Amino acid sequence: MKQKKWYGKDTGLSLRMVLTGALLIIVYLAFLTLLSFYLDFIFLLIFAALFVFLQFYFADKLVLWSTGAKIVSPQEAPQLHTLVERLCTVADLPKPRVAVINSPVPNAFATGRNQKSAVVAVTTGLMNKLDTQELEAVLGHELTHVKNRDMLVITIASFLSTVAWFIMRFSLYSSLFRGGSRDKSAGAGIIIFLVSLLVWLISYLLIRALSRYREFAADRGSAIITGNPPALISALLKISGAMQRVPTKDLREVEGLNAFFIIPALSGGSIMALFSTHPPIEKRIARLEAMERTLEGIR
Amino acid sequence: MRVLDVLLGRVKPAPSKVDALFSISTAYVMLETKLDLHHAGAAGICFKIIPSTAFERLQVDLEELLDLARRETATEFEMVKDELGFLWIVLRDTDFEDLVTTLHLISETLIENGFDDQLLSSVFKFNKEAKDIYLIYTYKRGSFYPFVPLKGRERDVQYELKLGALLEAELPVEKNRETWYPLWDLPL
Repeated sequence: MKQKKWYGKDTGLSLRMVLTGALLIIVYLAFLTLLSFYLDFIFLLIFAALFVFLQFYFADKLVLWSTGAKIVSPQEAPQLHTLVERLCTVADLPKPRVAVINSPVPNAFATGRNQKSAVVAVTTGLMNKLDTQELEAVLGHELTHVKNRDMLVITIASFLSTVAWFIMRFSLYSSLFRGGSRDKSAGAGIIIFLVSLLVWLISYLLIRALSRYREFAADRGSAIITGNPPALISALLKISGAMQRVPTKDLREVEGLNAFFIIPALSGGSIMALFSTHPPIEKRIARLEAMERTLEGIR
Repeated sequence: MRVLDVLLGRVKPAPSKVDALFSISTAYVMLETKLDLHHAGAAGICFKIIPSTAFERLQVDLEELLDLARRETATEFEMVKDELGFLWIVLRDTDFEDLVTTLHLISETLIENGFDDQLLSSVFKFNKEAKDIYLIYTYKRGSFYPFVPLKGRERDVQYELKLGALLEAELPVEKNRETWYPLWDLPL
């Protein structure tokens, strides 16, 4: 007889993702219906699609280049490679490329448009600060991002949001410069501007929420793959503790990539939780502790 | 269901496959007669140590089970923890069949108790002249691949490829050669 798995299901998290996704689709559908009254925007749609596709296609190179991450061979980083290989064997995933960023800030990220082109990167600070089990837990988190294709999910989810943003800027520009004499088109321009602004705002918040749920899912995946929830808890504590002490000056460059870091490289505090790509550490730890309790059979 | 799992970000570890493990028994006949490969009287199973009480209990149960095997088939065992936090149960027996059945028994016990997600691989050791040759079975893929380490973390890739091609007739050999991961410093 096969025993039930210790980790069970997280229906609440699945429900939240479904709800966020459904809301996004409703907002987008309404947006597209409105757009269909103004056919000239089809061109913009194609332009945005091309832009997003290129960004998505070259994401791995772009991210590696902008973070200064260097792909390392098994000879250069034997332990890192062995850890990734074992996790991939257990999770039945193709092995991603492994990269190291020469930075004292402990952090890690995963990128790539699919499982085959994926890259998992860690900083030298992370390797120095964490022990083997904690490092494995962080790698498990990043590999779950790869397994769940979070890059693709977020890109698709934010496509029409990007379109709305483009239109917002475009319509503002056009109504300011040539709207004055033609009242009708100026009025339409303002409507489009307002609608796009609204769509962009709502979808932005929804995508941020979705991104936070994907983080919870990645934490959960790490605990399942490694079978070791406390290792990720202590890794998160170590990383967040170190993050607060590190000055933010040279971190600004990596701000845009936050969605794919294990912990965003920003000094938090002032940023509202609603706008954050990552859930607060305490919430992530609380969920891992709940997993730890189910592992021990205490509900 | 795959699409749904991706959309909801659910991780479902692949189920472990154990049945193919037995195919090494028939393959061994071929290895011995055709290739002059002899088993080195050692095999091992490797899985992740899970810090939970249920797992600790399972470890105790396994030890009792292996004590029983020691009495019945004279299979010696040893538990070794490696530096990456994985546990190796190393078995020693002059009878190859006993090694295979004991490994199968351990695998089944782990699966029955719901701890097969972290089951990594089983390794069989062979000798040819002075060379150590390993056949590695991965549970998630349910397939074997050869591993022939040389000095200085090098691998005898040519011999591995040759073995892979020959074993194809008797065993499920891992098709994706990129996943023929090395296992250095084996405790066997």
